[in-house]
Amino acid sequence: MAKSCFVGLCLFFAVLASHGFVELQASHHVYRNLETVQSSASADQPYRTGYHFQPPKNWINDPNGLMVYKGIYHLFYQYNPKGAVWGNIVWAHSTSKDLVNWTPHEPAIHPSQPGDINGCWSGSATILPGGVPAMLYTGIDPKNSQVQNLAVPKNLSDPYLREWVKSPKNPLMQPTAENRINASSFRDPTTAWLGPDKKWRVIIGSKIDRRGLAILFKSKDFVNWVQAPTPLRAAEGTGMWECPDFYPVPLRGRNGVDTSLNGPSVKHVLKLSLDDTKHDFYTVGSYDGSRDVYTPDKGSVESDSGLRYDYGKYYASKTFLDSIKNRRVLCGWLNESSSVADDIKKGWAGVHAIPRHIWLDKSGKQLIQWPVAEIEKLRANHVTLPTKLLKGGSVVEVSGVTASQADVDISFEIPGFDKAELLDPSWTNPQLLCSQKGASVKGGLGPFGLLVLASKGLSENTAVFFRIFKGQNKHVVLMCSDQSRSSLNQNNDKTTYGAFLDVDPLHQSLSLRSLIDHSIVESFGGGGKACISARVYPTLAIDNAAHLFVFNNGSEAVRISKLNAWSMNKAKVN
Amino acid sequence: MNRFICFSLIFSFTFLPVKSRENSATLIETTCKTTPFYNLCVSALQSDPDGPSADIPGLARIGANKVKAKATATLRQITGLLKEAKDPSLKTALLDCVDFYNAIVEYDVPMAIDAVVKGDPKFGVQGLNDAANEALACARRFENQPKFPIEGNNKVVHDLSAVVASIIALLL
Repeated sequence: MAKSCFVGLCLFFAVLASHGFVELQASHHVYRNLETVQSSASADQPYRTGYHFQPPKNWINDPNGLMVYKGIYHLFYQYNPKGAVWGNIVWAHSTSKDLVNWTPHEPAIHPSQPGDINGCWSGSATILPGGVPAMLYTGIDPKNSQVQNLAVPKNLSDPYLREWVKSPKNPLMQPTAENRINASSFRDPTTAWLGPDKKWRVIIGSKIDRRGLAILFKSKDFVNWVQAPTPLRAAEGTGMWECPDFYPVPLRGRNGVDTSLNGPSVKHVLKLSLDDTKHDFYTVGSYDGSRDVYTPDKGSVESDSGLRYDYGKYYASKTFLDSIKNRRVLCGWLNESSSVADDIKKGWAGVHAIPRHIWLDKSGKQLIQWPVAEIEKLRANHVTLPTKLLKGGSVVEVSGVTASQADVDISFEIPGFDKAELLDPSWTNPQLLCSQKGASVKGGLGPFGLLVLASKGLSENTAVFFRIFKGQNKHVVLMCSDQSRSSLNQNNDKTTYGAFLDVDPLHQSLSLRSLIDHSIVESFGGGGKACISARVYPTLAIDNAAHLFVFNNGSEAVRISKLNAWSMNKAKVN
Repeated sequence: MNRFICFSLIFSFTFLPVKSRENSATLIETTCKTTPFYNLCVSALQSDPDGPSADIPGLARIGANKVKAKATATLRQITGLLKEAKDPSLKTALLDCVDFYNAIVEYDVPMAIDAVVKGDPKFGVQGLNDAANEALACARRFENQPKFPIEGNNKVVHDLSAVVASIIALLL
């Protein structure tokens, strides 16, 4: 395998050499107020982020309790105050005015009652009538059973809600001999919603053997909860359902709506985190609020092969209604792709993705995600490019931005489709297809896209690209994030990720946006129709030694119809 | 009449459904069949007095503790070799392996056991997968060395970690 990669790379460079190494000239750039962009990297911490959320040190995982209160965003998250691996979990807490810059506070919830003495695991916020926030979260009890607890703010006049008090009635929901709920598979309560009978509903992830379940509980007063006779939804063979999320989305437009809303103007989304595969998948469907039945739309795939929020490293995600900007926002966790030995050395592990605005695609068949617009205020040193034909075999450097901390948005148009390879009907797994046909595998129409966090000689690079195939009745676009040459350090997980992008390149341009942040590459294809996030740890392409290129390793030329790149200023993430 | 009853009994026992004969396959055996190294798995789990009566989380804990014991012993072997090592490149390789093995003993295994006990098995799988990878990383450090003195133990740590990761994955 290594040999064929080497040969491929040699051929790639040979083609490069024959076409000439074309470099963008300074005169093509539009510089505006060239600012010095502060980088987060120091010599001994090359992978810390500039604008993605992470605390100063230690382990983090799931975002919890996302909410708005008195005009301030609250993010809680699973945190280990004692080290860089999972354990000793508490709810750490940060607040923000803009979802970009965050102020840390003391941990809000930590073990203190029988209901959570062995751990304060994930949960969600519900805003009760009157604007009072209530947290339902999973605790680990003295017998190491998973139970559900309630916490509310101690002092509602503190806009930062720094202190929380727990119900003396905790745990409010737990596995018993009667309900036969699996005591080690009962966790992650959602934001609750009101039904037509004015009773609250909440779902909690569970399983029986390999049957994933969303167990439904109902309550009049948010304290006494009664299990519904049937789960909201279940599916065979999927394993444990973690971090469920259940919410309405309007059929039209990009606004968010109250979690309790139901009716002909909305569809519902049920999202699950699959313990088995560490993927977040969702279905779009209809919710019968009187019978408490959720039915995914016809054609939905209710498993790991279904629609995912992100086809790369992205898990335990959760949405909340952003009542300030009237949108639904999604937050997710990206764990490390480095070894634990490396995590211990660097003293931290885990980051969060940039919050994403989500809405239903006009087809009604999938969600669209786009980084919240607030992130754009970090942009500096705008570099742009006039329309350009990118011949097969070219690599073009994009200079003028800090390539290790950047936002780049590029669009391609395809002048001719004759050279597109045929898509074998057995090629149904995009991740596998991208692994077999990485960036160094020459193609007919593609691969073309970006080489990010690249060393000058390209011995290290992360390739985010498209490859276009001729399918049955249309062209099929494959989007890949190829980490196979992201780092010379062999102790990293360099798995390649892939997704089919539902865009018709015959009639639409192909857009790709990548948010680059030292050890994160967060990519959005087709304006947010497919997202792929990756964690990479270059040893050469660090800070000022990182480069950004556009490449085309296909035989067909493609047209860059638009290229915008920016350095990203450092945000105050903790 | 007695002969008839006797004959019927013998006849019916001969044709007992095959399933009941296979009930003699223990949980250890059926669990180990799902792992990449069956024999290693069986011997590791059966060697523990609690093995035969353990459930799957119990077997996972037994296996994880065996990984920890083997890794601790290997770590001692590495530090012993370090004391005598004179060649600088050998020292570097051994020092790197100290880091890898520390990760296994101090972090991967304790975290994995905690995860299994509390019911979040994905962190258990991740911990033991990492342990296997740390052993591979150590082996890579010795690719350019004339000898790999801890090769045997390193392989056991790797293989047993892969076994235990598989067992924990049954809980997902």
